Amino acid sequence: MRRAAPFLLLAVLPLAGCQGWQSALDAQGPAARTLADMFWIFLAVLGAVWGLTMIALLLSLRRRRPADADPLATNPETERRMIVTTSIAVGLTLVTVIALTGLSYAAQKVLFARKDGALTLLVTGEQWWWKITYEDSQPNRVFTTANEIHIPVGEPVLIKLEASDVIHAFWVPSLTGKMDLIPGRQNQIQIQADRPGLYRGQCAEFCGLQHAHMGLFVIAETKEEFERWRDRQVSSATPPSDSHRQRGMEIFLSKPCVMCHQVRGTDAGGKVAPDLTHVGSRRTIAAGTLETTRGNLAAWILDPHGIKPGVNMPAVKLEPDEVQPLADYLEGLK
Amino acid sequence: MASAQTDPPHPAVPSFAASPGDGQWTIPQKNYASTRFSDLSEINTENVKNLQVAFTFSTGVNKGQEAAPLVVGGTMYVLSPYPNILYALDLTRPGAPLKWQYNPKPASAAQGVACCDVVNRGPAFANGRLFFTTLDAHAVAVNAETGEEIWKTKLGDINRGETMTMAPLVVKDKVIVGVSGGQFGVRGWIEALDVDTGKSIWKAYSTGPDQDVKIGANFKPFYDSDKGKDLGVATWPADGWQQGGGTVWGWLSYDPDLNLVYHGTGNPGPWNPNPRPGDNKWTAGIFARDADTGEARWFYQIAPHDLHGRDGNNETILLDMEWEGKPRKVLVHPGQTGFVYVIDRVTGEVLSAKPFHALTAATGVDLETGKIQYSSDKEPVSNRVIRDICPAASGAKNWNPSAFSPRTGLLYIPHVNLCMDWGSTEPNYIAGTPYVGAEIRMFPGPGGHMGEFSAWDIREGRELWTINERFPVWSGALATAGDVVFYGTMDGWFKAVHARTGEVLWQFRTSSGIVGQPTTYRGPDGRQYVAILSGVGGWAGSIVSGDLDPRDGTAALGFVNAMRDLKNVTAKGGTLHVFKLP
Amino acid sequence: MCSSSLKAVAASILLTALALAACQREEREFRSKSMADETEEKVSLVPLSPGPSGPAEQRSGTAKTYEENAYQIAQGQRLYAWFNCNGCHGNGGGGSGPPLMDDMWTYGGQIEHIVQSIREGRPNGMPSFRGKVPDEQIWEIAAYVRSMGRNVPKAAAPGRRDDMSPGPAEQRRPPGQVIDGGQIPPSAQMPQ
Repeated sequence: MRRAAPFLLLAVLPLAGCQGWQSALDAQGPAARTLADMFWIFLAVLGAVWGLTMIALLLSLRRRRPADADPLATNPETERRMIVTTSIAVGLTLVTVIALTGLSYAAQKVLFARKDGALTLLVTGEQWWWKITYEDSQPNRVFTTANEIHIPVGEPVLIKLEASDVIHAFWVPSLTGKMDLIPGRQNQIQIQADRPGLYRGQCAEFCGLQHAHMGLFVIAETKEEFERWRDRQVSSATPPSDSHRQRGMEIFLSKPCVMCHQVRGTDAGGKVAPDLTHVGSRRTIAAGTLETTRGNLAAWILDPHGIKPGVNMPAVKLEPDEVQPLADYLEGLK
Repeated sequence: MASAQTDPPHPAVPSFAASPGDGQWTIPQKNYASTRFSDLSEINTENVKNLQVAFTFSTGVNKGQEAAPLVVGGTMYVLSPYPNILYALDLTRPGAPLKWQYNPKPASAAQGVACCDVVNRGPAFANGRLFFTTLDAHAVAVNAETGEEIWKTKLGDINRGETMTMAPLVVKDKVIVGVSGGQFGVRGWIEALDVDTGKSIWKAYSTGPDQDVKIGANFKPFYDSDKGKDLGVATWPADGWQQGGGTVWGWLSYDPDLNLVYHGTGNPGPWNPNPRPGDNKWTAGIFARDADTGEARWFYQIAPHDLHGRDGNNETILLDMEWEGKPRKVLVHPGQTGFVYVIDRVTGEVLSAKPFHALTAATGVDLETGKIQYSSDKEPVSNRVIRDICPAASGAKNWNPSAFSPRTGLLYIPHVNLCMDWGSTEPNYIAGTPYVGAEIRMFPGPGGHMGEFSAWDIREGRELWTINERFPVWSGALATAGDVVFYGTMDGWFKAVHARTGEVLWQFRTSSGIVGQPTTYRGPDGRQYVAILSGVGGWAGSIVSGDLDPRDGTAALGFVNAMRDLKNVTAKGGTLHVFKLP
Repeated sequence: MCSSSLKAVAASILLTALALAACQREEREFRSKSMADETEEKVSLVPLSPGPSGPAEQRSGTAKTYEENAYQIAQGQRLYAWFNCNGCHGNGGGGSGPPLMDDMWTYGGQIEHIVQSIREGRPNGMPSFRGKVPDEQIWEIAAYVRSMGRNVPKAAAPGRRDDMSPGPAEQRRPPGQVIDGGQIPPSAQMPQ
């Protein structure tokens, strides 16, 4: 029993994947539910097939021929039985394969069906973060943010997927399956969340050094909360509330930050790095790697390569007395 | 009964632009209607073949010479490219020696934020003073007699990419100037300064809230798409209008009867249209503004949500003509989009828009809505190359102005014949650096020639004759009462053409390619002279003026691909050539 | 038997040597020199110096790690577009700024000169990027600029990009040289 204990523990481990904010088996949306259902059906059917095959194998191993029998002799009885059994097995296999194929086709139809939704997003995969643009019929409500998507609960949201450098893949397991982001091509996917909640996603196509740290969050919330969030995001950055943060803004505008980052409402208009206009309102920075706190912001700015080696953000030289104001300013951009 | 048989009268020059008959050329446009037509007729189709050099003058600067030589009384004024030195030549003495020169000493760093060579399109004379702009975004007033500086005002910041290259227009007691930098994400504006002090009287932006754009109760645009509140904000993504372009760097016209100034607004920023959904008002269009207050009266957008870097800054020629039986006051604008627009200058209604350049980017202009009809397959897409977009990003015709002859009723349009391949890239805004988001390669349009000089019938909307040129025609045009029209080519030929037939009657190879504006005047000796600055450059000629490398086709925003041969044909130059009959 | 096993050993040694020879051009450090001050380059822009010897120069020696490293040059290629160098200099052909792929250098064409030009800016329009672009990235951009004229080893120069091609890729260009002195700076063309 004691020797078996570690193996029993190993057996329990896979069960950890059944729940959580990033679990394909913990479906929170219709697309994910379809996929989870498919998973279980296939598992059950094919598991049963496997089980039957194994039983048949074990049974056949147990049977033994008489030692002196002629190995090449055929018994017409057993021959007939064998032909019947084999035909039945082949028939069943064909039926199973056709049934599962049909099921798969039906699931694909559900997954790729497009429902009319009010919200359209454009997600551009960059190395190694997600650029998210909220589209709108009114141009001045179009805005760009990074790494965090908010959607209203219960409504289908169309996401257009593009990539600017290499192939990435968009995957929020609790809500939907994977879809590649391919440079030079636009793919589309539709997601819908049934319940308010926080769902974690990840890049699912190896895209370079920090592929493993390219996460994103999808936050589903009620329609009112979502509209409030969107209005907040459309607005320009709040001006600094005190002199400490004002100094932080001056530091931001005089450092390399402005070469890549944008804070709408200031002269910083860089678009090749995440938009920082409302960075304080996001739960994480560095594509889901660190929680947004002043300490983490400071750590990220001073030593991004200690956290995500090889990332495009350079280490910025700051004087000791510049770190705190800058971190405060960024955290205050809510 | 005979009315159906007789031809309708030619479009006429409005009375306020009638020539005073003094043989002078005081502003580059010649008059407020921008006709660039001189009533001097000593040089005519018979004798122009005898034209010879009267005198020359080197500006000392070998960059693109886009200025128009002005003549007031017995003095000629020539403005050089950066460092924008203003020379006064004494025409009363033999050889036209230098009378004085004035160097405004503009900041040399301004050369780093000038997109298209360090050119200047000339000064304007009024009330004994010369007004001009300098590359580092200053406006200057200089005493025309003595060359002394009267005032110099700083108007823009080169750190934000703001420069100035345009010729100002003096209207009553105001000097009107505008800013350049549409390729640097500069938010464009036009400003009126006091003629005596240089202080700002009014300033109107090209994007942003109605208050900044000076859109108020008197704004009555003709088309519905231009009606609404704060469209300069609403037709851009969040805060996109701050780097929206719409710069005012081209030509101004003025109607004293209506008291309206007509000007264009430049391309939106960035060129790549994907980051800026919406119509992007008020870029790539034409404004009519009240000259006293700057308030907008009407606006027409030649390229809403511009896709290919189209600009509205080409010249607007004010004419009076009969349209469908009724007399109308119109404005004629040979546009970058490839159409010659005839617009009612009172209301902003487009009467006609006919193409003068091969087109693939658009199929036409819907006169009901005024909107240009883009071809969807030529719309830029992220990370993709779109091929064969005609006309190219230079526009079917760029800044170089056309001329109108009331005698022939024709508009003489110097233009290009270029198409391009366009690859969208992600634009990154950094103040003081280019904000474009596209890689471009231009090449000759259908026919293989890159330039044309066309005679255009405004009423019928068609070309009567055209002269094909190997290189883009980047010089201005001049029309005279002797029925001779003049223009220059980028390989250096200054040509005189029969205004009615298009026959080249005379040509002279100047020292370098020509991108300037020809003018003509009556000298102190009573003879007619024709003046042109020769010195290749400008955006089209920057491969020579900037010593660019022909191996990179995307250099100079795509022009180098088309102009690889220019270095074999001309070198840099900077010389004024003046011609007269023997 | 002996000769064939000897051949096998020789072949494997040769292959290993060849494989390892490529390592240097792909070396990369991920912990960038944070808090790094700029490297000190005491270079002269001209070969003129009084006395029998040439100008006294002192270089930090950083040049080799950037110019021969394909990763640094590739990073420089990305940053060249990110920071809008291509807006004024095209893809090496120039535009409002001078070309970078030819052999004429107004302010010196060795990598230390280019680094100084980017850091300090130059009269006639080159902006100063000191404090706006970290020094390591300036070196990367300078290394890419050197590759435009093929002043770097062919193995390190970038290959063809996926975007619209401006011309032959840096790798395929003929090896370049820097002509001392280059052209007269435009300011010398100022008349008076």
